[in-house]
Amino acid sequence: MATTSDVRDILELETSQTSDYVTKESLMNDGKKKKLKKPDAAVKRPEGMHRELWGLLHSDARYQTDAAPIVPSDTKQGYKQMKARIGSSKVRPWKWMPFTNPARKDGAIFYHWGRVADEGKDYPFARFNKAVDIPTFSDLEYQQHLHDDRWTRQETEHLFDLCKRFEIRFVVVHDRWDRQRHKDYSIEDLKERYYNICNTLAKVRAPQGSEPKMKAFDAEHERRRKLQLRKLFERTPEQVEEEEFLIGELKKIELRKKEREKKQQDLQKLITAADSSADNRKADRKTSKKKLQAKELKLKDGGAVTNPEPGGIKFPDFKASGTSLRSQRMKLPATIGQKKTKAIEQVLEELGLEFNPMPTEEIVSSFNSLRQDIVLLYELKLAMATCQYEMQTLKHRHDQLVANRSGGVASSASSVTQAKPSSLSSFLDDIIGDPSIELGAGGASSPNKRKFLVDTIDVVGTSASPTKKRKAAIEQSNILKKIKQKM
Amino acid sequence: MTTQAQDSAGRQKGVVVVKPVVYGNIARYFGKKREEDGHTHQWTVYVKPFNNEDMSAYVKKINFKLHDSYPSPNRIVTKPPYEVTETGWGEFEIIIKIYFNDPQERPVTIYHLLKLFQSETDVMLGKKSLVVEYYDEMVFQDPTVTMTSMLANTTSLGVSTHKHETDFEDKKERTINKISNAHGKIRYEIDQMNEKLKKSKDAISKMKKEISKLEEGVIMDTDIMS
Repeated sequence: MATTSDVRDILELETSQTSDYVTKESLMNDGKKKKLKKPDAAVKRPEGMHRELWGLLHSDARYQTDAAPIVPSDTKQGYKQMKARIGSSKVRPWKWMPFTNPARKDGAIFYHWGRVADEGKDYPFARFNKAVDIPTFSDLEYQQHLHDDRWTRQETEHLFDLCKRFEIRFVVVHDRWDRQRHKDYSIEDLKERYYNICNTLAKVRAPQGSEPKMKAFDAEHERRRKLQLRKLFERTPEQVEEEEFLIGELKKIELRKKEREKKQQDLQKLITAADSSADNRKADRKTSKKKLQAKELKLKDGGAVTNPEPGGIKFPDFKASGTSLRSQRMKLPATIGQKKTKAIEQVLEELGLEFNPMPTEEIVSSFNSLRQDIVLLYELKLAMATCQYEMQTLKHRHDQLVANRSGGVASSASSVTQAKPSSLSSFLDDIIGDPSIELGAGGASSPNKRKFLVDTIDVVGTSASPTKKRKAAIEQSNILKKIKQKM
Repeated sequence: MTTQAQDSAGRQKGVVVVKPVVYGNIARYFGKKREEDGHTHQWTVYVKPFNNEDMSAYVKKINFKLHDSYPSPNRIVTKPPYEVTETGWGEFEIIIKIYFNDPQERPVTIYHLLKLFQSETDVMLGKKSLVVEYYDEMVFQDPTVTMTSMLANTTSLGVSTHKHETDFEDKKERTINKISNAHGKIRYEIDQMNEKLKKSKDAISKMKKEISKLEEGVIMDTDIMS
């Protein structure tokens, strides 16, 4: 886009604006040239509005067209109206000129292109030449404060010399270290010596009462860190693989543990539910006569016999207005799973009850509460199965530990501690071996024992077979052992 | 009735009226397969009031939806006796829909599986009718004012003796007893199981303590060795 100034430039006409070289300000169309927006006179402070509030709103309105930038910028323009005015003025001339770099001691002269305006000024990059301040020490100081049995005076001086030459780049210092004449030191040793001397000198030279700034370097920590990194680096692929495997297993174990803990909590809930159901029954017995009368009254009223703490099933309460069939209230809600439904049916069959009895009000409510308790029983049995599994796992772990103990360091205390667990584990055996809660075909209990309805409930399929579980338990303990060894 | 609270739809909150009904079918075997259409049974499906009353006071109509193979399968009965008699050779589900005089009350639907066959020899030979009937209750929750008065003002059916094929009173007694017996058993077992669970829970926590003690010991031992 050619502007008038371009045309003037081409025609070599003198512009009216003299020496209007491009500057950053002119390029960014900044500063005075910008038209000052007059405050909108139409907007007046409404009557009754506080002056402070108006001030806030008003200044907001002023900046609405040009919101403040998020990132600070030096153009004072924000991100808007960034129209660079290129070609609006003459370019600044450049010149091939000599320069010296003050970082060089030899005073060598080089040439480069520079702006005419900058002629005679210092080399602009000289400010990046930072000199490192390496302390020096006198003989007296060395003898008084800096003596170290591990270092000779020559070595220390060599270290400081190298530090000065390579500007305390310790990797280079370590590389250039004169191993013919001096003892070989590690980078950490070199650093430790250097920083110790710096700190000591700073302390000694500090004026009375002032606290000098100390350079922090923990050589021991550095050595450990590097050792760790080396170890990590030098692992073989097999070791890496094994570690990954073990971590994976550990995660699995922890997950299982969490699951079991959750089940434990559920178990507690179940027990409370069972307790409350037992309490209800006791209350029922005591007030059976009263309740009968009450029931009759209630039946007359047409109100339902309420069950304070329902067990496993939540039957929908028909409170909505309208007509319905009583038998609908006996329907199991859809949320109940197939397993529970099957368990209910199994028990009802065993009891010789119809699945859909005659739906009078009394029968419906008692039948529903019966089924709630059946589900509760089912859940208890499930919980029992989980408990059994856990006990088996624990027992196995326990036996293993005891075996380790007696096999390993034979301590006099082991015989004492062993007496207790043996009685405990025998109790566990009792529970694990209890036929009424045996997993699977529970119906095959001894004939002289009373047949339990629980046995008709089938909890198999919800969990793996006991032998499989035991195997898993053994595996788990082995892995845990391995992990412990690694640590 | 006026003391009851009414809502905008004219429903009486808190009022519940229960109307027990008996529904089902009887069936009789011809003794042979009929030549012309292969039908073997004559059956009657019905809805009867449990108490002796005229249901037409509040029932507008009852729709018996038969199998689609019957001509005009929707049989509508508007006055008692509410029944449909047909002949056939197969069992199917009959949808019984009861409509009420007040259109604001939604109709009630009953599903009944038509029963023709039974293993009992007398019935098989066609000497005795097969009866399959069920008891149910229509529950009117918060009925409308008009519905309430219709439900209350029913007249007795003129029939001298009102009897059902099944003795529902006796059945009710027996069912209640059975359920309460069963409930006792279940509760006993819940108690038992609960005790067992509690015991094993304690045992588990004890075992855990024991194991953690032992584990600490093992770790200490290995520490000493290493």
